[in-house]
Amino acid sequence: MSVVDDNNALVLEDVSKVFQGQPALRGVDLTLRSGEVHALLGHNGSGKSTLIKILAGYHQPEPGARATLHGKPLSLGSAEAAHAAGITFVHQDLGVIDELDAVDNLALGARYQGRWWLSDRRERRAARERLAEYGVDLDVSTPLRDLSPARRTIVAVVRALQHGVGRGSVLVLDESTAALPAAEVSHLFELVREVRRQGGTILYVTHRLSEVFEIADRVSVLRDGRRVATRDVASLTHDGLVELIVGRSLSAFYPDPPAHGGDVVLEALDIRAPGLDAVTLRVCGGEIVGVAGLVGSGHEQLLATIFGGRERSSGTVAVGTDVVRPGDPRAAIEAGVAYASADRRRLGATATWTLRENVTLPAIPSRGPARWLAPRAERADVVPWLERLDVQPASPEHLFADLSGGNQQKVVLARWLRRGARVFLLDEPTAGIDVASKRAVYEALSTLAASGAGIVLSSSDAEELCAVCDRVLVLRDGRVAGELAGDELTTERLLTMSMRAGDGVPTPVGA
Amino acid sequence: MTELTSSPAPTTGPEPPAQPGAVALSRRAGLVARAVGLRYSGFALWALFIIIFALWIPDTFLATSTAKSIAGDQAITVMLALGALFTLSAGQYDLSCAQNLGLSAVVSSSLMVNSHVAPLPAVLLTLALGAGIGAANGLIVAVVGVNSFIATLGMSSILLALTEQISNDQFIGPLPASFQATLSHEPLGVPVITVYAVLLGAIVWYVLEHTPVGRRVYATGANADAARLAGVRTGRNVFWSFVATGTIAALAGTLLAARIGQTSSGLGPPYLLPAFAACFLGTTQIKLGRFNVWGTLLAIYLLATGVKGLQLAGGSIWITDLFNGVALIGAVSVAVIAQRRRQAPGSS
Repeated sequence: MSVVDDNNALVLEDVSKVFQGQPALRGVDLTLRSGEVHALLGHNGSGKSTLIKILAGYHQPEPGARATLHGKPLSLGSAEAAHAAGITFVHQDLGVIDELDAVDNLALGARYQGRWWLSDRRERRAARERLAEYGVDLDVSTPLRDLSPARRTIVAVVRALQHGVGRGSVLVLDESTAALPAAEVSHLFELVREVRRQGGTILYVTHRLSEVFEIADRVSVLRDGRRVATRDVASLTHDGLVELIVGRSLSAFYPDPPAHGGDVVLEALDIRAPGLDAVTLRVCGGEIVGVAGLVGSGHEQLLATIFGGRERSSGTVAVGTDVVRPGDPRAAIEAGVAYASADRRRLGATATWTLRENVTLPAIPSRGPARWLAPRAERADVVPWLERLDVQPASPEHLFADLSGGNQQKVVLARWLRRGARVFLLDEPTAGIDVASKRAVYEALSTLAASGAGIVLSSSDAEELCAVCDRVLVLRDGRVAGELAGDELTTERLLTMSMRAGDGVPTPVGA
Repeated sequence: MTELTSSPAPTTGPEPPAQPGAVALSRRAGLVARAVGLRYSGFALWALFIIIFALWIPDTFLATSTAKSIAGDQAITVMLALGALFTLSAGQYDLSCAQNLGLSAVVSSSLMVNSHVAPLPAVLLTLALGAGIGAANGLIVAVVGVNSFIATLGMSSILLALTEQISNDQFIGPLPASFQATLSHEPLGVPVITVYAVLLGAIVWYVLEHTPVGRRVYATGANADAARLAGVRTGRNVFWSFVATGTIAALAGTLLAARIGQTSSGLGPPYLLPAFAACFLGTTQIKLGRFNVWGTLLAIYLLATGVKGLQLAGGSIWITDLFNGVALIGAVSVAVIAQRRRQAPGSS
C-alpha cells in the first residue's frame, strides 16, 4: 500500500526489529512530509534509537519493512543506500574533530578544493561560502574546541548537508542538542529553520519537550516499540505530549520543592578560579538550590570547584563548621560532600566496572586488620542501596556502562548516599535522561532534601530549575548576577537574568 | 521511596529487551557462557599442549625433570610479572622493571663478592635500592607528570648504565655457597624458587584483588579522573605501585643471582617481554579485561609449556621468542574480538 505522494519525503512502513526474541520495534509506520521538521519522541526503551539505527544502516530491520524516499524505494539497513539517497545524520557526539578548524572539518566530510596543492586561502573561502549558504558566519580558522558547543554543532550540521538541501535530502538530528545548554539551542534552531526554508526535511530526535514546541511542525511518539501518535505540534500541550510519551497522565511531573529551614550545611565564600569571580553560595539542610547561567557563565565549573575537583585560586568552603581543604576531593568527601559530574560516563563513574565496585569505591568495605575484601559481603552491602534508589536492574554485578542514563544517575546517587553524604553537588543530573527517569531522579532529590541533605543542582534546563529548586543562583560572566526564589522564580526571569543586562534576546548565530 | 518503583510506565523497560525477565536472563546466561569459555580457555589450551607433546615426544616431555625445569625456569619471570601487575593495574608502564632486576642481581652479588657483605643485609640493601628506583619513577610520573612510558624508558637506560658501571664488563661471582644454598632444596620435589614465586603470587593476589588498597589501584588505572572525584588519591596510588613494582623486581633480581651463582650486566632485559606478555595475556583469562594474578600465572606456564615442548621436539633457540610473540598477539586479538562481539548487538 505504498502511496506515492510528492508531499512525502520519507515513508517507512511496517518496520520491526527483534533483538534475541524480544521485539524492539513492532510494525512502525512513519511519514515525513517534504520540508517539515518532524520531531521523534519516546523515552529510552521506546524503540526510538533502534529506528534511527535502522535508518542509518546500523541494524537490519525484520523482513517486510518497506521504505521510500520521494517515492523511490529505499533499502533499509544499509548505510551506503541511506547515504546515496541523501539521508544524513548528526548524532549526539557530532563526530567532528575538535583539534581541527571548520575548514578542515567541512573538507573532511567532502573534499578539499585543491587536488594537489592546498591553498589555505581558497579552502577558507570555500568553507565560509558553504556556511554562508545557511546564513552562518563564524571564524572558520578557529579549532572547534575553542568554539561554543552550539557552533560546533552547527559545523557538524553544515558538514552533514554537503550534498545541499532541496535535492530530496533528509537530515536526521539524533539528539544533537543533548549536550547543548538550553540557551544555546536557539542558535542551532536558526540553522534548522534555514534548512527547512530551503526545502530540506528534518527528523528531529530529542528528549527536550520545549524544543519540540519551539522548532517542530509535527511530532511522532514511540512507546514500547510502537508509534502511538503523530500530531501537529500546534494541537498539543506540554502535558498532553508528556502523557503520550509516558502512556498515562502524570498528575504532578515535578515533586513539590521541599520546605527548608535547616542549618547551613555548605558555605562557599568568595570562590575564585578560572571562569569564576568571587562567587558565594550558602545551602541549608533540606534545601535544593539551583545554579543557572549561559555557557561560559561559570555555572558549569562552580560545583566542581567547590568540591575540589578543579583548582581554585582563593575562597573557602565550609561544611557545617569544618573548613575543607581546597583542591582535594577526598577531603570534601570526608566532610560529607558528594559530587556528581555532568559527564557521567567519563567522570561520574568507571563505566567498565560493575555497579558493586562503583558504589563502594568511596568507602570500600573490608574486614579485620588484614582489610580483607569479600565480594559476597560487598554485594550484600550494595544491594539495599540499589533497591533504595530503584536502580533497574538492581543487580550489583551489572556493568555501569550497560545501564540507561537515568539508572546510571541513580547509581551515582546511591554511591554517595551510602557514603553518608550530607551535601550533594550535582552537575546536570538529568542531561540525556528520558522523561520517566527524570521524574525518578527528581523524586530521589526530593526525598534526599526531605531527609535533611542540602542539594545544589547546576542545570542548563531553566524549566527544571524553576520546578525543582527552592531558589536559584544565576551566574553571568563568572559572577553571581542574582538570586531568584518564590514567585520570582520563573523561566522568563531566569533567562533574562542569565543574559547580559539590556540584552533581552539571545545573540543570533555568528554575532 | 516506594513511589519510585511505580514511576516508569509498566509497559516499558530498557532497550532492546522490554521486560527484565526471561529474555534479559537468557541474554545474560549467553554472555556468561561465552565469557566462561574465554575466561578458562587457557586451561584447555594448556591441557592440549601437554597432551600433544605427551603423544609426540613422550620420552623427554613426560620426564619429571621437564616439569621441574618449566616450574623453576619461569619463577623469575613470574615474580617480575607479579611486580609489573601493580603499575599496570594503576594504568602505568614500568619498562625499567627488567633493568631494575638486572641491576639488583649485579648489586647484590657485588655487595656479597666484592664488599663481603653478608647475604641477608646485601639482599635487604638491594631491596631498598629497588624500592628507591620505584620511588624515583613514581615521583617522576605522579608528581612531575611525565608519561610513564617515557619516564621508565629513560630510567631503564640510566639503570643499564649503572649496571655496566658496577659490573665493569666482568662476571661477578661466584656468590657465597650459603646464599646459593637458599634455593637448592626442593620441598615435595618442587624447586623452592617456584614455591617462593607462588607464595608471592598469593600475596599480590590478596593485596590487589582482595583489599581496598588494591581496589583503589585498579580504580586509578581504570579511570583516574573518575577515581579522583570518588575520593581516591590517585597520585599516591601511582607512586606506591611504582615502589611495589621496583621492590619486587629487586627481589626477583637477588633470587636470580642466587639461582645462577654469578652475574653480569646483561641479565635483565630478556625478562621484559615475557613478563609484560604474561600480564597482558593474563587479562584474557580468569578476570576478563583486568590485570590479574592467576591469569598472569596461567599465561606464563602455558607459554613455558609450549616453548619447552617445542624445544624438546628439536626446535631452535629462536622458537621461544617467536612463540611468545605469536601467542601474545593471537590471544589478545581473540579477546578484543570477543569483547567487540559481546558489545555489538543491541547496545543502544
